[in-house]
Amino acid sequence: MSRPSGTNIALGVWTTLVFVFLFAPIIVIAIYSFNGGRLLTAWDGFSLEPFTAIVERPTVRHTVAVSLQTAVIAALLASALGTLAGMAMARFPGRWTGPFTLLLLLVSVTPEIVDGIALLPWFVTLGQDWSLLPFNNGYVRLVIGHSLFATAVVTYIVRARLVGLDASLEEASADLYARPVATFFKVTLPLVGPAVLAGGLLAFTLSLDNTVISSFINVSGTTSWPVYVLSSVRSGLKPEIAAVSTILLVFTLLVLGLVARVLKRSGSSVTDTMAVA
Amino acid sequence: MPRSASSRLPGFVLAVPAWVWLTVFFVVPFLQIAWFSLGEKPGMFGTHSNAVMSLDRYAEAFSPTFFTIFRATLWMSVTGTIACLLIALPAAYFMALKVPAHRRGLLVALVMVPYWTSFLIRTIGWKVILSSEGALAGFLTDVGLVSDPHALLNTRGAVLLGLIYNYLPLMILPLYVAFDRVDSALGEASKDLGAGRVRTFFQVTLPLARPGIIAGVILVFIPMMGDYVTPAVLGGAKGTMVGSLIASQFLTAQNWALGSAMAVVLILLTMLVVVLAIALLWGVGWLVGRRSRLVIGTKSIGTKKVATA
Repeated sequence: MSRPSGTNIALGVWTTLVFVFLFAPIIVIAIYSFNGGRLLTAWDGFSLEPFTAIVERPTVRHTVAVSLQTAVIAALLASALGTLAGMAMARFPGRWTGPFTLLLLLVSVTPEIVDGIALLPWFVTLGQDWSLLPFNNGYVRLVIGHSLFATAVVTYIVRARLVGLDASLEEASADLYARPVATFFKVTLPLVGPAVLAGGLLAFTLSLDNTVISSFINVSGTTSWPVYVLSSVRSGLKPEIAAVSTILLVFTLLVLGLVARVLKRSGSSVTDTMAVA
Repeated sequence: MPRSASSRLPGFVLAVPAWVWLTVFFVVPFLQIAWFSLGEKPGMFGTHSNAVMSLDRYAEAFSPTFFTIFRATLWMSVTGTIACLLIALPAAYFMALKVPAHRRGLLVALVMVPYWTSFLIRTIGWKVILSSEGALAGFLTDVGLVSDPHALLNTRGAVLLGLIYNYLPLMILPLYVAFDRVDSALGEASKDLGAGRVRTFFQVTLPLARPGIIAGVILVFIPMMGDYVTPAVLGGAKGTMVGSLIASQFLTAQNWALGSAMAVVLILLTMLVVVLAIALLWGVGWLVGRRSRLVIGTKSIGTKKVATA
């Protein structure tokens, strides 16, 4: 089609450099997870020690477990809330959609630090001033903090999926005297299934990575993995942090690959969905 | 008579749980800190009190010590956003219009991999690269570009690099989508009418990609202003940003009133800059568009409805 001209070669070289830039720190972390030294930043020979250290250190195992548990619950919660909201937006638009869209937009653009510093006093008000004890629980706080943006993401994805589908299947089901509940479980839910799965998995990875909100609402004893890593930035980074990160990276990539496959099979545009998120 | 679900139950009921959840855990907490920001810190051990209402905390947030950091944050975010735009434009243009269609999906996925990798870990990756024990510091010292191997990390430059790096995917993606939607026939028409490649790019392609540019600028600038992780990992004492300032008011100084006022100022300042930037981008686009209108006709012709990816 287009012959490789000087401009095109320059553009290609530039794009390659951009990709090198994007992947440089990730590759460095993957390499340094085999660092045999005591500190992460100082390379001291190849070793598998960082990976065995994961098994030996209870703090590492505990914080990763906290993160995984939180991520599962937050993802389930965000999927439930977001699926219902996304279906309502796509199928029953009305005067309420405007304000609700604005709310979702505000949730998406507000810097995480503002969510974090606003939630901390709110949990204190709820848990200590009003004696609603669950809000003093670290897991509850983390799940709530992680569910906000994730709910907005799931809502966008489910709405986008349903808007792209004809409502006639649901109407046919109603015409055939299926009760609304039956229509919901037997027709609508299978239709949005792929979008819910994709949204839920994205919510899971978002929760797994959440650092800022978590570090403000942290309760000692339920410190999540990123908060532990952030605190060791000050006290000294160990190579096992890179090792855990490498494992989590591979895990996240597998999850994302799954999302991409599910979305592709269900026909929505992956780029559009991700760009929205 | 067809009975749809909507005739039995108002449909928006499905959205009520999400609405309530976001109101209770997003809107109300924010209103609470807006309320705190009008109060004060009572004595040594209290965190906030609204016994005396005033705007004094806002005056404090604008005092020279703190205002310097607000200005530095604004400077870094504006510079970082412009740098992201300049780095991303050629790459997104190349990906959307020069790469064969069947390989574009893979490239977009590759752009997203860093974005979905842990933000904190990627930033720590830069800490490893820039550290005084690292190969880069050693190389730059040997060549003579840097006199001290400690000169790379814990500087404002390191934070700026981290910001550009962390938000670059958020600039590339909307630009890619925008270029992808530009009809290549318009570019060919422009060339047929005698415009050069440079002129075609600046008068046809770039104006059509304007919504993507605006989206990218907003997506990158807003989180940069509120970033807390990047300065914490790469900035040390010299690279402090507003995020670190607010965090220290809540976590160290225990002055919730002042921290809340700073958060409100941060949001208002961010919104102000975003509105100004959009006005500027539309203004420039309008000037260019007015000059090229005779060439390309109404601009709505140029946009395709469906994005393929």
